[in-house]
Amino acid sequence: MLWEKIKGGMRIAALDHAASRAGLSIGQNISDARALVPGLLVLEHDADFTAHVFSEFADWHSNASPIVAVHDTMAPYGDLILDITGVSHLFGGEERMLSTLIGRLRAIGYRTEGAIADTVGAAWAFAHFDPGRIVPEAELEASLAHLPVNALRLSEAQVAGLNQMGLKTIGQLAGRDRKALQARFGATLILRLDQALGGIEERVTPRIPIAEYHAERRFAEPIGYLDDVLMTVRDLAIQLGVRLGTQALGAQSFHLFLYRVDHKVMTLSVNAGRATRDPGHIAQLFVNRSERLEGEYDAGFGIDMIRLAAGSLSPTADVQVGAFEIDDGAEDLARLYDRMTSRLGPLAVVRSKPVDTHIPERAVRLEPVIARTPDDPNALLNPPLRPLRLLPTPEPVEVIAEVPHGPPLRMIWRRVSYRVLKASGPERIEAEWWRTGKRLAILTPPVFGEAEIAPQDHTDPAKKPVRAEPPAQHVSTLESFDPETTVRDYYVVEDEGGRRFWVFRVGLYGAASPPRWYLHGFFA
Amino acid sequence: MPRPKPDLDGLRAQIAALERRPVLADGAALVAQGRQGEENDLLGLLKAPPGLLHEVFADEHRQSGAALGFTLGLARSLIAENRQALIYLQLSAEAQEIGLPYGIGFSRFGLTPDTLVIGRIGTVPELLWTLEESLACRAVAGVIVDLASHPKALDFTASRRISMRAAAAGTSAFLIRYGTGREASAARLRWHIKPGVSAGQPFDASAPGHPRFAIEIEKLRLGQARQSEQHHLIVDWTENGFVSIDTREQKQLRPHAPLRRPAAPSRPQPAALGDRLSEAS
Repeated sequence: MLWEKIKGGMRIAALDHAASRAGLSIGQNISDARALVPGLLVLEHDADFTAHVFSEFADWHSNASPIVAVHDTMAPYGDLILDITGVSHLFGGEERMLSTLIGRLRAIGYRTEGAIADTVGAAWAFAHFDPGRIVPEAELEASLAHLPVNALRLSEAQVAGLNQMGLKTIGQLAGRDRKALQARFGATLILRLDQALGGIEERVTPRIPIAEYHAERRFAEPIGYLDDVLMTVRDLAIQLGVRLGTQALGAQSFHLFLYRVDHKVMTLSVNAGRATRDPGHIAQLFVNRSERLEGEYDAGFGIDMIRLAAGSLSPTADVQVGAFEIDDGAEDLARLYDRMTSRLGPLAVVRSKPVDTHIPERAVRLEPVIARTPDDPNALLNPPLRPLRLLPTPEPVEVIAEVPHGPPLRMIWRRVSYRVLKASGPERIEAEWWRTGKRLAILTPPVFGEAEIAPQDHTDPAKKPVRAEPPAQHVSTLESFDPETTVRDYYVVEDEGGRRFWVFRVGLYGAASPPRWYLHGFFA
Repeated sequence: MPRPKPDLDGLRAQIAALERRPVLADGAALVAQGRQGEENDLLGLLKAPPGLLHEVFADEHRQSGAALGFTLGLARSLIAENRQALIYLQLSAEAQEIGLPYGIGFSRFGLTPDTLVIGRIGTVPELLWTLEESLACRAVAGVIVDLASHPKALDFTASRRISMRAAAAGTSAFLIRYGTGREASAARLRWHIKPGVSAGQPFDASAPGHPRFAIEIEKLRLGQARQSEQHHLIVDWTENGFVSIDTREQKQLRPHAPLRRPAAPSRPQPAALGDRLSEAS
């Protein structure tokens, strides 16, 4: 027996058969129940956990029909809807399908009831109050008529009110004046009635997005080894490739669903940089992806069905490389990037995307190669002299001999002393006022800052919000390391060993705090 | 028909064929071509043919800029119309130590930020896997591996694998290593790079000028080609590529070769003027 807190009291939320035979009922106070049945096993009811487990359980049923939804009108768990349009013949008819689905759940110890009807409302009503029925469309209204009004998915107050009026069955409601019913019991009564009878369509939100193209295989005996799974994937990829090929389509995302015997579904997804239907390539992506799984793969008691679905479809014609074109290898490259990404992860394979800003660490964004966005044409105009390597985080440098407003003469970096022979600069880089949105306000003292600290600067809610730019991907350490930074003066310095560094000074001479120096990059 | 008596060179070629190396004659031809075109063999090697494993050694981590610059200079000549991409691999844990390649800085080496695809990899085995995968791709011009550490996994056997892969696909591999120690490896060329004090800029002698490298070739295994007599060279990277510098006289010798920009993949070539003339006449 499970209990939960309702209106401050500990009340029974769910019971098993034995408990209800002992005379307990849902909603009863828990201390009353304990008095009635000594030795009662009482557990607290964790609704969230149950809902989570039930949704996984629902996913597993997608092996019977592509559209599976959890019916959450009455409770977040407990009711499952399957849209079996065009599926039932696979099981040998609706009757066989119902008995198969119910039977396999009963076989593992769940108490399950089911019904098939044309509307969600009616199916729910029959499953709860007249289970096991398959109601054809013509008989729907007549069959519903003798069910109690509870079958309409109404609230307790509505049911109590209807019973008070002597309206016990759905059939009694049919002839009544709808407006009067609505005024007395609320609009939901009319809505539920129409939904059950098919007057209003009820939407079903599938748990798993429907894939137009998929290939699947069922196994007589459950399989467990990852190698077997991957071999099956290869076969399925061939099937899927042929199907896509007949429609001249290619897909960019592929999802693998592994249906376990113990009612769980494992999913595995890979993305390709460009649309493809090459079975070898698809299978290879899954092989690479599976090597990143490590401990996550758990076949449980075995896998009895595997489905491979294709998403993000786009027309892909059979290409013939023309005699006068030069194969620039772009396709080979895209495949290489796919393979690398599938094994190493999308953020590990990146390209440098120039950004239109002059703050060095923001001027290049590292972007996954398989998800490339168009370049900003302004970003590459007149590239300034920049180092070949940048340190993700600038490192502080101790300057021993310095000239005010000049490059350092001697500096210590990573505990090694350098004597500067040649230097050029400064190149002054200031914070971008158009990112802070503060420049036009009169402030004392003026607060500059990198865009990263802009949200903190928002004291005036009436001001236009800062144009928020997505943060630099993956280079998380490139935040502004000093929120009080106003100006950086960059110098290119060369020491006596010919090493060329990019150093900068933060702050000005004569200011309250002395300027600090940092090393930011290496030149060739 | 009497079989010709196999000489030493023939046997070498047979072994090479067995090992799927590029034909050793390539190496000989390369050096020979260098000898014809240049008074300096070493300068010719700076445009080495594809399909070789290079090692580029710098003494310290803080010379990583010079090492990468020199390697980009080497790899640049390999970019062709059907091989557009360079791949750079680094252990993500070492980025702060030796720095991340910075796209805007590439323009000095005639590359766009887009050319270099950066792989930030977690472990050495994955790095080696990625290296082999990339080498096998025929659209990749070169793969640059930047390793600040000396992992055990990268031993002679591994380098031999890399070398064979590179030869099979015709893609060059560049291993940037740091330190003064040398391990056995199957690399065909081993460069030792030191940054040099630059000449300064024409109008400002106190400003750093063109990147200068002191190059030493420590290992040169290109078949039966004779070992280069000269092992040391000082070069500048200029707009025209590597230019040899005679430090005694501090004057530039003639540029090695004009820098050829890699052509865009499908840009139509303008018809030569001569064709038009013949049409008109």
